[in-house]
Amino acid sequence: MKILPLIALTTFTATPVFAEETRQLDAHEHGVGQLNIAFDGQQIAMELHVPGADIVGFEYVAESAQDRAAVDIAVATLAKPLKLFALTDAAGCSVVQAAAGLESEEEHDEHEGEHGEEHADKEHAHEEHAEEGHAKEEHEDHANEAGHTEFHAEYLLTCADPSAIADINFSYFKSFLNALEVEVQIITATGATSFEVERDSPILDLRGMF
Amino acid sequence: MIPRLAFASLIARALTVGMTILAIALSVALFLGVEKIRTGAKASFADTISGTDLIVGARSGSVQLLLYSIFRIGNATNNLTWESYQDIAKRPDVDWIVPISLGDSHRQFRVMGTTPAFFERYKYRSGQSLVVNDGAIIDDLFDAVIGADVAATLGYIVGDPIVVAHGLASFTEHDDQPFRVSGILEKTGTPVDRTVIVGLRAIEAIHVDWQGGGQIQGQSTPADALRRMELEPQAVTAALLGVKGRLKVFGLQRSINEYAQEPLLAILPGVALQELWQIVGIAETALIGVSAMVVITALIGMMATIFSSLNERRREMAIFRAMGARPRVIVGLLVLEAIVMATLGALLGLGLLYVGLTIGQPLIDSAFGLWLPIEPPTLREFWVLLGVVAAGAIVSMVPALRAYRMSLADGMVVRI
Repeated sequence: MKILPLIALTTFTATPVFAEETRQLDAHEHGVGQLNIAFDGQQIAMELHVPGADIVGFEYVAESAQDRAAVDIAVATLAKPLKLFALTDAAGCSVVQAAAGLESEEEHDEHEGEHGEEHADKEHAHEEHAEEGHAKEEHEDHANEAGHTEFHAEYLLTCADPSAIADINFSYFKSFLNALEVEVQIITATGATSFEVERDSPILDLRGMF
Repeated sequence: MIPRLAFASLIARALTVGMTILAIALSVALFLGVEKIRTGAKASFADTISGTDLIVGARSGSVQLLLYSIFRIGNATNNLTWESYQDIAKRPDVDWIVPISLGDSHRQFRVMGTTPAFFERYKYRSGQSLVVNDGAIIDDLFDAVIGADVAATLGYIVGDPIVVAHGLASFTEHDDQPFRVSGILEKTGTPVDRTVIVGLRAIEAIHVDWQGGGQIQGQSTPADALRRMELEPQAVTAALLGVKGRLKVFGLQRSINEYAQEPLLAILPGVALQELWQIVGIAETALIGVSAMVVITALIGMMATIFSSLNERRREMAIFRAMGARPRVIVGLLVLEAIVMATLGALLGLGLLYVGLTIGQPLIDSAFGLWLPIEPPTLREFWVLLGVVAAGAIVSMVPALRAYRMSLADGMVVRI
């Protein structure tokens, strides 16, 4: 029992040293989210990365009850992919796995793979950042420097007939009013391609992709 | 009655009419030609790589990585170290990985070092594999497989020796370690046609006696000793990678892009290509705009000829009117003449395009590596031609209406 926190401590203290040697930071553009979709047989994997500003309107650590509630609601909304990215009904798609959470830039190494649970409960993903003392400290440091956070969601869907998917309706823009654009990358059997879906025309035409 | 008159009138003025038709034909051929090259270039680029999930290289831009690794356009800013390459190759999600090492040349052609897996994994034109036309793929350390264009341009056959030059456009040659042509690939219409492919170890082997960009004086390791040597590259230019299952592509891409030990970049070829089109798109639009302007200029030229012909045909028009032809008939006659000219021009333009394609196809292929397919006209081209004819008819309305108003009075009044 005693070893475990020690390991956690070393990983946390090791990371900043490392960050000094090779500094890198992902691009972060408010208003623009990234959605990756991979189609393989009947399975569809999606991953979404969106700046915190697009989803809840702020990127500092949520401390007030109001801000925390906003983050909780956002994570809960993000955990329902078919409500955000509506696929053609005829395809008969259902959610196998959905996980959503809030992360700051340098921490996702530690958190990757932890969101794998079936319909991951929002509390879990969120608590990691807010409740855990050390993580919170890190988070605050971060907030003072760059202050950028991202919502990250991963979905696994299964469809009875994926070839029936004609388009994706981005209701996402209705749920998150600060989001302006989503850069979509799609991989199908025919190859990879990219699209930009904007608030003004929130429907992504996928005909001819399969 | 009117069509016969129109044809007779056109034939009577064969020279001017011929010139007008030629101008329209050339402009139409230019417009359709630009369109052909544009779509041909896109198709040719898109056909160059298929079946590769990710391209990995040093962190630069996705378009740049795609251009230098696949199209041999431009150069790498940095290399991918062998340690990182092996590290990535070991990841459980990686199905296959093929290294690419560029930098040396043979005459005007690039030399690419890779592993035999390249011949199996590299796919073009929706999944076609490379086919060895003559000979066999790399077996010995000093075997080289050459692309169809290399063989055709330099007249090489299997068994010929090849001396690789150090770097690009350089005078220092690896003449102490000649290669042997072991195989010639079938024509693919991709940059592979213009590439000399050797083993990755061979690239190391020819540089064993080199230090600091030059050959060490008098030192030349015998080929057999090199064959026995443990030759491990320090770095490669890029790597093509296949992932076990499409669902894992994005995850692997992300983890390579976040690789902490070395700044690396993994790109999806299709997405990078799309980015390239976005950049090229502006130039494309400009090109289409200019060629459309040329068509408009030709049509205005036709209008000018009709206008000037009105002067010559004052009497003719007046006689028609005096014989009882209505003003409508005069308008109809002139518009019909214009439609006939525009139609002939459009058809001749289409003919010129195909003649030009037939002559230009091999030239463009050898100069730019761009294979323009000769196909029957598309629906889009049909609409363009129809548009030209319609525009010709509309443009001719201006002189026709003038004739409509003037025909009787103008021709009857004796002008001094």
